[in-house]
Amino acid sequence: MATPVPVLRLPKGPDPNSRGFDPNSPRFIALCRTSISSSAASDTNSEQLQKEQDARSVLREGFLRCLLSMTNKKVQFQMYENVKVEATFGASDIDVLNFQVSDLHTPIGVQKEALIRCQDVISFTFDV
Amino acid sequence: MMQCGWPLMGPLRWLHYLNKEVTVRAGKGEEHRGWLLSVDPVSASVVLVSFGEAVVVRVVMGHAVEAVEVLRAAADDETAKSLRSVFLPPPSPCLDPKELRQRRDAVRRWLQENRIPVEEEGEELKVAGVLTIAAPYSAHDCRSSNQIILDRIQRLIGIQDCTNQGLPL
Repeated sequence: MATPVPVLRLPKGPDPNSRGFDPNSPRFIALCRTSISSSAASDTNSEQLQKEQDARSVLREGFLRCLLSMTNKKVQFQMYENVKVEATFGASDIDVLNFQVSDLHTPIGVQKEALIRCQDVISFTFDV
Repeated sequence: MMQCGWPLMGPLRWLHYLNKEVTVRAGKGEEHRGWLLSVDPVSASVVLVSFGEAVVVRVVMGHAVEAVEVLRAAADDETAKSLRSVFLPPPSPCLDPKELRQRRDAVRRWLQENRIPVEEEGEELKVAGVLTIAAPYSAHDCRSSNQIILDRIQRLIGIQDCTNQGLPL
């Protein structure tokens, strides 16, 4: 008799249609409690929803251009508990939950690569 | 003056603050002043810019915003112009048509040497039917909805640019 082979059930991949913005996806529920969803379609009429979506794209584009211009620049992060750190900005994730930075200057030394949790950040600043 | 319902206000109300000079109160008594460039609809983070000796951008995270107050509802012409151009890439130097054509041919030949299907479509190059390269045909001028192809073509053109300038790869 052939030896039974254990079946590996791979985790379900991300939903190809929503790219993480679907508020019902497991990833969103687990990670993005603070991310803001658009209004539910049932709450607003379609014209209002269209206007809201237009506004969302304009605002998001502006924000993404800001992140783009920040890449490889020195950024000063103002965090809670009066912590100020400086690092070279690398990238952000889609939900603005984590920032990838290099050369993070902390009070206890320089971290070559690090992930900063956006929840810990109050504000950050850089020169264009 | 808005209270800390800032993240709940929504894109339509955030839009009203665009291009206005505001003060943002955040965190532990921080107050930041600047022209509001954008509000991220995903995190409600506020992008402020101030023009002094240098153009300084400050982003206040949405979860930390306590209040946003409008100081000036409209910018003068010069400020409005500066606001529009803060995040735009610097204008590329104008090349004359002959140089542009030479550059386009050089890029096309390089791609063909690397066995990549490329066609000329007017002034632009069309790569594999999914990526467009506009003048002046640098890595930054590539546009495609396919991230993998975009990355590969950008790297390829980057190699050619480095070689031409004698820079290390």
